Amino acid sequence: MGGGVAAFSAASELRARGYDGALTLLSPEGAPYDRPPLSKGYLLGTEDAAKIALAAEGWYAEHEVEVVAERAVALRPAEAAVELGDGTLLRADRVLLATGARPRPLAIPGGEAAYTLRDRADADALRGILVPEARVVVVGAGLIGTEVASAAVSFGAQVTLVDPVDPPLVPAVGEALARRLHAMHAEHGVRSIASVPLGISASGDGSHVVRLADGSALEADAIVAGIGIVPASRLAAEAGIEVDDGVLVDASGATTNPAVFAAGDVSRLRKPDGILARRAEHWEAAVRSGQAAAASMLGQAPPETGAPWFWSDRYGVHVEAVGTLDGRAGGSTVLREVDGVPQAAFLLADDGHLLGAAAVDLPLLIRAARRIMDRGLTPDRAALADPAVPARRLLP
Amino acid sequence: MSEGIDVGSPDEIEAGTARVVEPEDSGFVDPIAVFHTESGCFFALNDTCTHEEASLAEGWIEGDTVECPLHSSSFNLRTGKVLCLPATEDARTHKVAVEDGRVVLYPGVAADPARAAD
Ligand SMILES: Cc1cc2nc3c(=O)[nH]c(=O)nc-3n(C[C@H](O)[C@H](O)[C@H](O)COP(=O)(O)OP(=O)(O)OC[C@H]3O[C@@H](n4cnc5c(N)ncnc54)[C@H](O)[C@@H]3O)c2cc1C
Repeated sequence: MGGGVAAFSAASELRARGYDGALTLLSPEGAPYDRPPLSKGYLLGTEDAAKIALAAEGWYAEHEVEVVAERAVALRPAEAAVELGDGTLLRADRVLLATGARPRPLAIPGGEAAYTLRDRADADALRGILVPEARVVVVGAGLIGTEVASAAVSFGAQVTLVDPVDPPLVPAVGEALARRLHAMHAEHGVRSIASVPLGISASGDGSHVVRLADGSALEADAIVAGIGIVPASRLAAEAGIEVDDGVLVDASGATTNPAVFAAGDVSRLRKPDGILARRAEHWEAAVRSGQAAAASMLGQAPPETGAPWFWSDRYGVHVEAVGTLDGRAGGSTVLREVDGVPQAAFLLADDGHLLGAAAVDLPLLIRAARRIMDRGLTPDRAALADPAVPARRLLP
Repeated sequence: MSEGIDVGSPDEIEAGTARVVEPEDSGFVDPIAVFHTESGCFFALNDTCTHEEASLAEGWIEGDTVECPLHSSSFNLRTGKVLCLPATEDARTHKVAVEDGRVVLYPGVAADPARAAD
């Protein structure tokens, strides 16, 4: 169930592992496409719908994957079936829930006026409003809010970014890089305000006024909210599967119902010690969890997954991070700087192991860091900090 | 396009790195990356990732694969086969040979996956 990268990766992994039975992809929007470009190339108009497809048109026929452009309305594990809107029951021995998430609604008076970004149709709608001179207020300076702000200024809109956290993204990239990245808004003419919106009211001419907690008010032709996501887990909950801010799964994607697996943004990992992990909400985690679920649906051992990784592209720079840069639980940070400007940050545990790394426009450093983490190596601090040491030399 | 192009001597391209041959030098429409693997083999692929604008020559070269520096799609250097998302299309291969102590690239001539220049 789902037409995102988790469902697609699971389908392709099932075939790669030799499953040759019937395989249906319930994907309400038709052929699966990739979401990250929706706030990047697709929004900017440099990539079209064909470019963001997750597979060439012929792939589905070639791999005997039937794409059914329908939404499931109920899971019926007791009958080994999934129910569609018209009452049709699709029989299934195993069901993968990969229904992703919906944008968290802006829960303030008038908040329904805000646009959100999750689907291709949302991106198409945004392209209609991010126009020259439009006054755009972006609520939330996370990855999506930031990328939308970056796209909006490139279209000539006047953009204000509102987020209570200054700077955002510290747990993901560390304080130094978070500051550098946040400063880029001002450098590109995006005003940022550390506050929260309290309410939105319509002015007669089709524009809006956004009132903020700091007492100020912003006039806006369009408001975009990127304040997080809510997992699309309702059908699982209704079917009696355990849900707690996401469908609870183990590392193999198994839910509390033996016929139902879950992967991607809809899922939340329960670790072997019972502790619930943070939902991953990133592309690669969706791919890997889809693949893991495919393996376990076939009764095979899921592949090892390494440290979580994500990227973000904004204002022409490419940001990547692996693991965690959240130093609150301990560890110490090593910075790689050029002329006082941080290029990369590393978080090291007290015993010298690498816990995470983040970098701006230095992707090979992150590729090195991933391997250091996956192999459990203890890197040399001086080498990590030295811009003259190429990424490859960080590994033995 | 079967004329070979001298890309340099084998030790001019450090093992684990790649050199880009531009269209004006190769006569081929796209830039070509000539890879020198840690194990001493030479391979060539179209330099631009089949997913988005990124130079595979700047990627992470390990064993017989290169990982794109932008979104981490990997390609088999021998066959050009894409090994993981987000790219969905294989990369085009070009034949490379070490001839008389020189690395010679044959732009537009598909590599023979069974043999590698070393
Ligand atoms: C604009 C944007 C930019 C992003 N950029 C990045 C980035 O730069 N880097 C990064 O690492 N991550 C990024 N992400 C996150 C990444 O795209 C997601 O983590 C990933 O798409 C999750 O995949 P998924 O398959 O779990 O869910 P989704 O992609 O949300 O797919 C869910 C699918 O389920 C379908 N569905 C829902 N309900 C039903 C139902 N009842 N029946 C049948 N089907 C149903 C939906 O139609 C959809 O096809 C971005 C996300 C967005 C939205």
